[in-house]
Amino acid sequence: MEFGRETNVIKLDEEFFKEFETELQEAGMSINDLRSCIQCGKCAGTCPMALAGLEFFIKKIVHAATLGLKEIFLDDSSVWGCQSCNRCVEICPMEIKPYELIQAIRRVSFREYAMPSNTIDGLQNYYKLGHAVVVKGYENRRKKVGLPELPPTTLGNKEMRKKFQEMLKNTVLAEVAPFPLD
Amino acid sequence: MKRIGLFLGCNIPLRRPDIEYSMRYVLNELGVEIVELDGATCCPAFGTMPSIDLVGWCAGSAWNMAIAEEKGVDMITGCGSCYGSLNEARYHMEKHPEIKEKVNEILGKVGKKYKGVVKIWNFYNYIYEEIGIEEVKKKVKYPLNDIICGTHVGCHNLWPSKAYSTNDDNVFKPTRIKEICEAVGGKAPWYSTILDCCGMGALGSLAKEKSWALWRRKVNKMIEEINPELFVTGCSSCLLRYDNDQALMKKEGLIDFEIPAVHIAQLLALVMGAEPEKAVGLAEVPIDGIITKIKGGK
Repeated sequence: MEFGRETNVIKLDEEFFKEFETELQEAGMSINDLRSCIQCGKCAGTCPMALAGLEFFIKKIVHAATLGLKEIFLDDSSVWGCQSCNRCVEICPMEIKPYELIQAIRRVSFREYAMPSNTIDGLQNYYKLGHAVVVKGYENRRKKVGLPELPPTTLGNKEMRKKFQEMLKNTVLAEVAPFPLD
Repeated sequence: MKRIGLFLGCNIPLRRPDIEYSMRYVLNELGVEIVELDGATCCPAFGTMPSIDLVGWCAGSAWNMAIAEEKGVDMITGCGSCYGSLNEARYHMEKHPEIKEKVNEILGKVGKKYKGVVKIWNFYNYIYEEIGIEEVKKKVKYPLNDIICGTHVGCHNLWPSKAYSTNDDNVFKPTRIKEICEAVGGKAPWYSTILDCCGMGALGSLAKEKSWALWRRKVNKMIEEINPELFVTGCSSCLLRYDNDQALMKKEGLIDFEIPAVHIAQLLALVMGAEPEKAVGLAEVPIDGIITKIKGGK
C-alpha cells in the first residue's frame, strides 16, 4: 500500500450509525431490538429469499442495517423480494422481528424513490380502484362462473371508492405518492 | 344462524372468481349467512401501503375492518396475504394505541371508526374451528375416493403466529388442511418440503425465474415422495402459483408433469356437489380427470 493514499474503510463511529438508525426507527423498526441480533443465522435457514438465491437475504440484511450501510439497500433490490412470510419473526431467538426491518428499509428507500415499478403500479391501482392487483378481463371471468360482473368492493361501489380516496388523502400518500391524487 | 363478512381482496374476485364462487357455495351449504362487505378494498397488499408507511397501512386495513364492525360481523378470507396484512395491522394497533389513535383521526375525516373488535378468519380455520369437521362430513356428496392430495398451507396462514387468534397447534407442523382433506375422503401424506414457500408474491415479481425454481424444487421433492394426484392450497396466491404458473411452466417446457390444483374452498365445493364449471371453471391445468374420479366414485 502506498503512503498518503486513502483506503476504503467503514467508519464505525456513533455518528455514522445515527442517521440510518433514526430513519429506521421513524419507519417503525425498534433499534434496541435490532441491536440484539447475534447473527445466529436461524432466519437465513428459513428465508425463501436465501433459498431462492437472492444476494441479500434476511441475515445479511439485518447485519448491513446494524452497520448503517444504507447505500446497499438503495443499490440492491433484494428487500423488495421479501415474501412477508414471517418465518424469520417466528423463529428468531432474540425476537428482533426481522421482517419489520425489511418493511422499515422499504419505507426509507421509498422516500428516496428506490423502489421497483410494480410497487408504484400497485399503489396507483390501490388509490384509483381500491385494488392493488387488477388483471384485465375480470368481468368475463366473473360472468363465466356465475357471479355479477363487478364485486361489491370499491370496484363496484363508486360512492365508497370516492370516500376511500378521500381517506387516503389524509395519509402519508398525499406527501409521497409518485403520481397525482386527483 | 352464523353470519360472516366475506372479505374478497383482489386476486379472488378479479383473477380467480371460481374461488369466490366456491367459498360462497360452501358457506351456503354449511348454513352460514354471508354478509357482503360493501366498499371493501385491497387488504392492502404487503408491497403497497405496508411498504410505504405503518400508519397508512393500518388505516387501509382499518377501513376494511370498520366495514365489518359496522355490520356486526367477523371477516373471512381465502387469501393468505389478506389474512396476514389485516391481522398484522390489527396486531400493530392493538399493541400500539397511539397508532390506532392516528388511524382513527384519518378514518374520522370520512366519518368512519375502527373499534378493534373484529376477528379475521382464514377460510380453513373457520371451517375447522367454527363449523367443525363432523359438520363438513355430513355435507359430502362425492367423497375424494382416496385421491392423494399434495397439501400446501401457505406462509401467511401460519406466521407470525402472535398476530393470529387461531392457528394450528404446531405452526411448523400444520395438520388442519390435511385433516379436512382426509375428512372428505382424500389422503394427505406429509412430505419433507411441505413448509417451503411457493414463491408467489414479491419474490415472483422481483425475480421470476428464481421464484419459479424455488417452487419446482419444492414440488419435485413432493412428487418424488408422495406422487400427488391433486394439489390443495390454503391460499389463493399459492393457487395462482400451483395452477396458473404451473401451466405456464409446462408451456415453456420447464416441467414434465401436469397435476391439477385447487384451493381448499374449491375442493370442498366439489365434494359438496357444486358444478365444476363454476367451482373450478378457471383452472388452467386440466382437471377433468379428478372430477371424473370424484364423481364416478363410490
